[in-house]
Amino acid sequence: MSKVKVAFTLNDQEISLLVQPGERLLDTIRDRLNLTGTKEGCGVGECGACTVMLDGQAVNSCLVLTAQVDGREVRTVEGLGGEEEVDKLQQAFIDHQAVQCGFCTPGMLMSARALLNDTSSPTREDIKTALDGNLCRCTGYKQIVEAVEAAAEAEGAD
Amino acid sequence: MENSRRNASGRPKASGSDFEAEQENIQELGREVPVGSADYLAPKSLKKALEYRSRYGYKAVVIAGGTDIMVDYFERLSEVSSWLDLTKIQDLKEIKFGPEKIRLGSMVTHRKLATDSRIRENLPLLAESASEVGAWQIQSRGTLGGNIVTSSPAGDALAPLLAYQARFILGSVSGQREVAAEDFFTGPKENVMTQEELLIEVVIPTPREGTLSRWKKVGKRKAMIISSLTMALLLELDDKDEITAARAAYGAVAPRPIRATELEVYLTGRKLTEISAGKAGELAAQEISPITDIRGTVDFRCQVTRDITEQALLGFQQE
Ligand SMILES: Cc1cc2nc3c(=O)[nH]c(=O)nc-3n(C[C@H](O)[C@H](O)[C@H](O)COP(=O)(O)OP(=O)(O)OC[C@H]3O[C@@H](n4cnc5c(N)ncnc54)[C@H](O)[C@@H]3O)c2cc1C
Ligand code: FES
Ligand code: FES
Repeated sequence: MSKVKVAFTLNDQEISLLVQPGERLLDTIRDRLNLTGTKEGCGVGECGACTVMLDGQAVNSCLVLTAQVDGREVRTVEGLGGEEEVDKLQQAFIDHQAVQCGFCTPGMLMSARALLNDTSSPTREDIKTALDGNLCRCTGYKQIVEAVEAAAEAEGAD
Repeated sequence: MENSRRNASGRPKASGSDFEAEQENIQELGREVPVGSADYLAPKSLKKALEYRSRYGYKAVVIAGGTDIMVDYFERLSEVSSWLDLTKIQDLKEIKFGPEKIRLGSMVTHRKLATDSRIRENLPLLAESASEVGAWQIQSRGTLGGNIVTSSPAGDALAPLLAYQARFILGSVSGQREVAAEDFFTGPKENVMTQEELLIEVVIPTPREGTLSRWKKVGKRKAMIISSLTMALLLELDDKDEITAARAAYGAVAPRPIRATELEVYLTGRKLTEISAGKAGELAAQEISPITDIRGTVDFRCQVTRDITEQALLGFQQE
């Protein structure tokens, strides 16, 4: 089977690579590009651990073929924040103890980032809806929702 | 370990030396082909896509948002010898509002349907159902066309499409045909589309102003759940509050999405205030032919159908 040449923007960097036609974006990110922040939980769209942003929208990278992102923009958890400082959301997750084992965290952050880029002052309901597709087995969600609220406020204050 | 070294030395980058080495390797191993080779067809035009469809038929697996097909092929993606990806066809992502008809491209996503203000205004059943599909990640990718072609009796868009009397435009190299939503679905995950065809567009007669409608999805919990039952109810009233047209569509209560015609006959020609909501609920429950499965028993589905239909009509009467 021949490989497919794909070019896209990953975390603000132009990249071009050859992939298998049936290769999932999740595998390209983790195995080819060694960006292991993005996690695989279920592999079938149910858990959200693999969430990345595609053209600004939260998507499950386990359900996207890498060849489908040709010409588009992908952001993973490694692309949050700047070179030196963490994203406000990441800081809020730390401050609110919204991380326990941490497996769901990258996905949570990406869903929350997509929400905040879309809506500057989300309600608690908005936040819960945006995180509906992200499962957490540890925290009980409360701290996560609070962290997102805090980050939204912090960003609003800027 | 390479990974921990990377993490320790700051933000991981996608272009480490490993990556470049690996890429060289691949170029030696694989034949370099652009997106659009026989294994991965990603045409920009519909015309080209239809040509591929005619040439490859079922041998090329059509992928839109991938939220159904990637699950179908979970852990056996390598078995797919060829993909036909519709992502690059811009024409299929368009929504056109006309005075008579609203045309939705098959690649319009649930997220678009849920958030577009004109869809929310004109086609609230479709906007609301889209906003309850899976979760955000699924809505961002999942398309209207994918929902239709999958033809799961539990597909959330299907009852609204029946209630709106949608028509589907199917295309092939030899031309187009139009199929009413009601005639499209033939059984669980079965429809009338052939391997030569693609779903191009969904055409919906623009609902008249003042049309009343109710969408209801029943599932075990709010998010990420396959529906146990869906209902899309729509009434057109004249200025004397008489029901001039009624359409009641249900999903996941029969092998394919259905309309409760007896209920529609009962409602049509009556004044809204004279309707017995209880009787309407009974009629709906009699018309469905559900099965017992993990998402609910026959009794449960009949009872719920009766209750949500009754509540919807009581709701209309109070408005
Ligand atoms: C976690 C999860 C939750 C979900 N929740 C819901 C839910 O709540 N409600 C619901 O209704 N669905 C749900 N789904 C199912 C799915 O998301 C929807 O059916 C979605 O609309 C499918 O669209 P897609 O573009 O992703 O389809 P794809 O997977 O790309 O395609 C689906 C099928 O249609 C074919 N196809 C797609 N487009 C065309 C076309 N234009 N012409 C011809 N063939 C075509 C493909 O070959 C494939 O067989 C869920 C899925 C997951 C993984
Ligand atoms: S791994 Fe993608 S949603 Fe679970
Ligand atoms: S912190 Fe462990 S799964 Fe969320």
